[in-house]
Amino acid sequence: MRIFTNGLRKLVGRPVSFVSVGLLVGLLGLIVIASATVAQRSESATAAQRALAMVTFPGAYDLILSFMLGLGGLVAVIYGAAIAGSEWGWGTLKNAVARGESRTRYVLATFAAIAVMVAVGLAITFVLGIAIALVGATIAGVSTSGLSDADALARLPALAARGWFSVVEQAALGFAIATLTRSQLAGIGAGIAFYFGEGFASLFLPDIVKYMPFAVARAAVDTGATGGGPGAGGLTEALAPDTALLLVAAWLVGSLVVAVGFTERAEITG
Amino acid sequence: MTSPGTLALSTRGLRKSYGSRLALDGLDLSVPTGVVYGFLGPNGAGKTTTMRLLTGLLHPDAGAIELLGRPFRRGDRQRLFEVGALVESPSFYPYLSGRANLRSLAAAGAAVPRGRIEELLELVGLRERANDKVSGYSLGMKQRLGIAGALLSDPRLLLLDEPANGLDPAGIVAMRETLRRLAAAGKTVFVSSHLLAEVQVLADVVGIIAAGRLVREGTLDSLLGDQGVVRVRVPAEQLGPARSTLESIAPVEATEAPAAGSDADRDRWLTVHVPPSRAAEVNRRLAEASIFASGLESGTELEQLFLELTGGGASIEGVMQGIGTPDAGGPVA
Repeated sequence: MRIFTNGLRKLVGRPVSFVSVGLLVGLLGLIVIASATVAQRSESATAAQRALAMVTFPGAYDLILSFMLGLGGLVAVIYGAAIAGSEWGWGTLKNAVARGESRTRYVLATFAAIAVMVAVGLAITFVLGIAIALVGATIAGVSTSGLSDADALARLPALAARGWFSVVEQAALGFAIATLTRSQLAGIGAGIAFYFGEGFASLFLPDIVKYMPFAVARAAVDTGATGGGPGAGGLTEALAPDTALLLVAAWLVGSLVVAVGFTERAEITG
Repeated sequence: MTSPGTLALSTRGLRKSYGSRLALDGLDLSVPTGVVYGFLGPNGAGKTTTMRLLTGLLHPDAGAIELLGRPFRRGDRQRLFEVGALVESPSFYPYLSGRANLRSLAAAGAAVPRGRIEELLELVGLRERANDKVSGYSLGMKQRLGIAGALLSDPRLLLLDEPANGLDPAGIVAMRETLRRLAAAGKTVFVSSHLLAEVQVLADVVGIIAAGRLVREGTLDSLLGDQGVVRVRVPAEQLGPARSTLESIAPVEATEAPAAGSDADRDRWLTVHVPPSRAAEVNRRLAEASIFASGLESGTELEQLFLELTGGGASIEGVMQGIGTPDAGGPVA
């Protein structure tokens, strides 16, 4: 528990935590404001309606969530890799091990803190995203009466939980890659390459890629409402959400087993 | 508790390879309880590998380690609860303050008593800068923070890798006093260093490692027993008689280069291989032969021993200029 609470304290003060949330919120804000502006200036009614979707409630809930979970996955890979890689690069894992700390407990507690930070980051992004969408709706002159739509609000908690779980799985992937490479930079680079490589591979190997970590993460939140988020492999026939959720769990556990196993066996130098 | 006279740390036949490169080749260390042990060796001799093995960062290929009287094997991580370590360069979260870094370190391993962090910040002289981010610390400040980190759990055995690295002279003196105080309190301090002069004034027992093997181990007195020298400066025309006189005491070497100063072209140095405690006797013998030395220096040469044992080579001149500890310096005639 000490390691976990200390891990949280470290992440709260860490610049990459703010940068990750700031990046998501900033991009979300730009897209929403751009959508509202485009809708306002568009001469085509169809185009204007499409642009307004981002600021029209209750549909905006799903679109904001979809955006967060899509780009959030990439940010999570980077975040997980940054945290794990720095433990090796800065030599702080070495300090803990030399004090007699359990390597397994240290890795798992550190990751548990990441999972909590992901939840907090997604919650902050979602709340700010709604606020930005409301501003966008005001700019575009769209009614915000759908904000309190009961059906949409009832669906949100389950979707948010699935989304969080999927994003955490992607963070675990980055975490495991950076542990294997023992480096922040290599971990982040490899994580990003894996993210886009998987999308590219879906062009050639769709039947395999649909079981891969990012594809299953997208499929797990694709309950019809979110559309799987940006970057969803259009050529890959997605798995059923519940099946995908099981595979998300498998990838999450697998990533952590790899990270723990490697750390336990690793010879810590430098 | 480990009783006095027992070993706080020992290794038997410790072996470690990195691929095809052999880093440790059967290392046998015996570190008595309650001493400052200086662990010396040239670069690549295996000092840091030894430190890593002693702290569980690496696992030996063969051999055994005992920490505080009990075997330390893979999985015996709790044995490290009584060990404090600073291995290689101090490592911290750069975006956290010094105090927050110590808190973070205290969360791992053995529990740390309340108030201990403040006590240590005071001890290492970082209280005023404790809230500053570590990224703004100098190397010496990081080193002091690292020493504080090693002392967090009030360890019975302290393992320090180059603790004087980056410290200013005042910091070195303070660190030396702290380590001596810890040893006086019954704790064992194992210091790896390349600063031979520092080890010479700090350590009670010295181990010298070369090519992964311990080549000499013992108290400083026993190791340096035959390493003392006394040097005398005599007029060039009296070099022969002076040499004959002093050879009745011990082997003598003449230094070819003239001594510095206004009499540089006339004076020569003679090196007599006797302990520094016999400097007065050397001077008296010369005076009895009506030869009056214009200068006399003495010292014990850990560096000389080190270089001999580790395969290095150095002239006695270099040694004296480098690390000689004058016991009776200055002109006497």
